Amino acid sequence: MTGAPPPFFPKAVRPSVSVTAALTLLVCVPLGRYAAPHPPERTVAAPWAPPGGRHPLGTDVLGRDVLSRVLAGGTQLLTVSLLAALAAVVCGAGLGLAAGWSGDRTARTVRALCDLLLAVPALVLALVLATALPGATAVVVAAVLAGAPLTARVVATQCAQLRDSGHVHAAVERGERTPAVLLHEVLPALRRLVAADAGLRLVTALQIAAALAVLGLGPQPPDPDWALMLSENLPGAALNPWALLAPAIPLAGCAWVFAAAARTAARVPGEAA
Amino acid sequence: MTLRTAGRALRPAGRAAALAVAATAVVFTATELLPGDAGELRTAGRASDEDVAAERERLGLDRPAAVRYLDWLSGLIRGDLGHSLAGGKPVATLFAERLPATVVLVAAALAVTALLTATALTVAYLRGGRGGSAATGLAAVPQPVHAAVLGAVLAGLLGWLPPVSLLPPGGSPLADPRLLALPALTLALPSAAFATVLLRGALADTLRRPHVADARLRGLPAPLVLHRHVLPFLYAPALQVTALLAGGLVAGTALAETLFGYPGTGQLLVSAVAVRDVPVIQAAALLPAAVLLLGMLLADLAARRTTVPGGPGPSVATAGRTV
Repeated sequence: MTGAPPPFFPKAVRPSVSVTAALTLLVCVPLGRYAAPHPPERTVAAPWAPPGGRHPLGTDVLGRDVLSRVLAGGTQLLTVSLLAALAAVVCGAGLGLAAGWSGDRTARTVRALCDLLLAVPALVLALVLATALPGATAVVVAAVLAGAPLTARVVATQCAQLRDSGHVHAAVERGERTPAVLLHEVLPALRRLVAADAGLRLVTALQIAAALAVLGLGPQPPDPDWALMLSENLPGAALNPWALLAPAIPLAGCAWVFAAAARTAARVPGEAA
Repeated sequence: MTLRTAGRALRPAGRAAALAVAATAVVFTATELLPGDAGELRTAGRASDEDVAAERERLGLDRPAAVRYLDWLSGLIRGDLGHSLAGGKPVATLFAERLPATVVLVAAALAVTALLTATALTVAYLRGGRGGSAATGLAAVPQPVHAAVLGAVLAGLLGWLPPVSLLPPGGSPLADPRLLALPALTLALPSAAFATVLLRGALADTLRRPHVADARLRGLPAPLVLHRHVLPFLYAPALQVTALLAGGLVAGTALAETLFGYPGTGQLLVSAVAVRDVPVIQAAALLPAAVLLLGMLLADLAARRTTVPGGPGPSVATAGRTV
């Protein structure tokens, strides 16, 4: 390490491939709809036609153009997942800061809450919630209930350690109020941790959203949606496998990239993989 | 058994029991959010308000939620799961019909998971504990994608397997193992990746211990080091991960069974959600929680017997969770 030349980029601003990819996906997927060559909801050919000619990926169960549906099908999934992840991180970080700052008893309560929510798997929780709530709301609530306690636990541990650090003591001595100390002194020190955690929450939310959509509890049939396309086109696996693979690839890609970005964000700068 | 060991065994059991009761509260609260209730569902919107009220009274739905919860809980303890709102069959009978198929499916998935995880960890061990990010990525991929890719490749492109696993009524899934393949693989792939992620950390920690480096420097062959100096440290985490996976796999059957038309309890849960059959939903939602808690309890008790001094504590299980 000592003999290596100094890096061209300072560590703090060196672009990471996976984080850049994750942000690019979040921007580009909603624009896909405008690149679709056919209207994604309209029947344009025979059902399950193999790729070729005017339909590079063939057609689906109702003879709609697979390429157009894939291009248009990620927006709702990513929007719902993003909202759910954001809600989980905000709730979890808030709870974690409160627990970590106020000490033992609250921290124990948070740990008990974690154990409790760990006992009911998130998918089952989302399914039960989906009986009463619309699909998107069920995804958000399930992601918050399943994710926020995990975020809270990680944040609480770190926050409790930071409480004894010099710059926090200094702020308290200056007479700053607790919310200000937490917001300006503690939270910035935890930004890497929270960013990594947000990536994991996004992956979980995407999994829940995809599962509910596949089970018919999310977006409803004429809408193009990657997850819904999977269940619609599974019976035609032998006729046009591309109707299955084409939505599976971007869905898997998003999850993979988000997980990789979370790993990158969690890594302490300068430490090897 | 001395009093002390009995006490040590009772503590986790008490914790598991408390969590089980808490899980029933979570499930009950979630089903309480339903806008309509069984009174409306059973009269199917055709009856007058008085008839709905009478039906509600007959079913005991006019009592406060806390009373109904305690009533339901005491029924659960006695093994009385209530009656399905659609059809009126006892929920226990519905489960008894479908449980064998799910048990076979989960057992098959668990076996495949163990095989895949052991292979992945062996590769990680041979590479000195350094792992790629493939397992992390694979564990992040949503389960329906695994189902779709397996279906497209094995049933579509290669044509080796039937795309749906429709069992004849009352038929055993063991009669035609090909029907089991797609749902079991769909469950096993993500959970193997998840288990690899969790256990790779424990493996890397173990490999960094001084006694492992010492054994290597003494020139012991790699398989012997693995067997004698590494594996004993991995038993406890492996047991916990297995318990976590078993709960996750039972939960995952909702997806795998529905997608491939495999008639088990997961499909029962999804169809009950579609018609808002609350007693069935409640029982089906508690099944994975019960498997998870019982598994964790057994893993905890077994870990107490096998743990090596200074070995990893019971921390792996809460490091992550399956959907």
